[in-house]
Amino acid sequence: MLQVDKLSVRYGPVRALDEVSFEARDARITTVLGANGAGKTTLLRTLSGLVRHQAGTASFDGSLLTGRQPEAIARMGVAHVPEGRGVIAELTVDENLRLGTFCRVRRAERRGAIEEIYERFPGLGDRRHRSASSLSGGERQMLVIGRALVSRPRFLLLDEPSLGLAPMITAQMMATLRDLTAEKGLGAILVEQNARSALSVADWAIVLNLGRVVAADEPARLAVDSDLRRHYLGF
Amino acid sequence: MGLFVNVLLSGVAQGMVFAAVALGLVLVSRATGIVNFAQGAMGMFTTFIAFSLLTAGLGYWPAFVSALAIGFVLGAVVERTLMRPLRGKPALNPVIVTIGLLVVLEGVAGSIWGGASQGFPAAFSQRGLVVGTTRVAFSQFDVFIVGAVAVLVVAIVALFRWTDLGLRMRAAAFSPEVSQLLGVRVGRLFTLGWALACAAGSLAGLLVAPLSSFSPYYMDLNLVYGFTAAVLGGLLSPAGALVGGLVTGLAIAFVGAYVGSDLQPIAALVLLLLVLMLRPQGLFGTAEVRRV
Repeated sequence: MLQVDKLSVRYGPVRALDEVSFEARDARITTVLGANGAGKTTLLRTLSGLVRHQAGTASFDGSLLTGRQPEAIARMGVAHVPEGRGVIAELTVDENLRLGTFCRVRRAERRGAIEEIYERFPGLGDRRHRSASSLSGGERQMLVIGRALVSRPRFLLLDEPSLGLAPMITAQMMATLRDLTAEKGLGAILVEQNARSALSVADWAIVLNLGRVVAADEPARLAVDSDLRRHYLGF
Repeated sequence: MGLFVNVLLSGVAQGMVFAAVALGLVLVSRATGIVNFAQGAMGMFTTFIAFSLLTAGLGYWPAFVSALAIGFVLGAVVERTLMRPLRGKPALNPVIVTIGLLVVLEGVAGSIWGGASQGFPAAFSQRGLVVGTTRVAFSQFDVFIVGAVAVLVVAIVALFRWTDLGLRMRAAAFSPEVSQLLGVRVGRLFTLGWALACAAGSLAGLLVAPLSSFSPYYMDLNLVYGFTAAVLGGLLSPAGALVGGLVTGLAIAFVGAYVGSDLQPIAALVLLLLVLMLRPQGLFGTAEVRRV
């Protein structure tokens, strides 16, 4: 379980996160919604160690995340899939996946773990020796999710995975995410601009506004709250 | 014909030395994206340490290996103490620090070992080999230069292309943040990149020292030639550094033999300008394509 307790982050005078608290459980998708600038990406970047916090704590299965380096957090099994697709375009598809195996998969098991990803995403297997820069937007998204999965994570942090994708591909990706959390018992925090699609797959939802939690409830309840929808969710 | 062959051979030997300097520049550039203007001076400094060890009675090969090892450590120390704090700062800051380091190392070397030229021994004979009945401008020491740099280039290419460590180093250079998120210890790899680069610089320093007037400034011109070679090869490619070094070495040798040795540095700068104007990505680089 990932626990966030009164987490605060400032960028100079700007309060990006203001005493944010919530729990994200295993085998569940917790979606974090909100307008641009609400603090969603800052939240994930703080959880994965890329942004320094000023106050509060975040912990995973009882171990503190806050104060650790990003590589140490990755080695704990918390995999962050960054926004902007995060592929290393100068490497091949296979090399991107190999990188994902280094920190948590035994040497003898690495090739098998990569082949599992190719089975799950056959489009990647066909292009394994091609440069990642040659992939389409949807394929790049598959690659970064595959790269996170190949590391055998215990928890996923997904930042805007549907950014720039066609609605049909977004729906497929959300379904894949749903299957993964159910199959492997993975917990996930899903940050999304596309509130409707995120609410459709999530088990729990949090709404951020100007760095503060303004609502936290089951997705079905948030989806029918017309005030919340109008003010924060944009649909 | 004899002159042409001799110039060709000496150009190859010189070119391999430039390739070693270029390789050091490429390693730092690949790892951290900056040009290390202290590359030559770091090689000079470790070669002077080898000189002191030789003077103290140590054998040539122990001194040679010690200089490479000290170069490796010096590179790591420079990265940890001078470069690491500048990560995330404007790109010009580390470049200026390397220029400062160049000045400091030359100053310190001058104060310890003096500014005058001295003699540095070669590992093998520098007399030209005899082919048939003709003595050519290519010595046993030149054979050693070619072999040593070739082994270094092959080792570096193999490291990057076929090993997990090399893949981590490439990933850290291309995308440090994503690499960190994948558990790659990026800081350690930057340190390793600098350490390997400085060891390559030490090798270049040891190879050049017997061929030139050995003083605290003897690597300055070689840095210019090495930089030309690195840019010619694409600045990010170890194989490019080798080819760039050979092209630069041959150009310098032919200009020296057929035009005039005073014009050799100018020839290198003309070559550099031509590359930057006609193919700025170098022979082995690819033009950057940006999606909009």
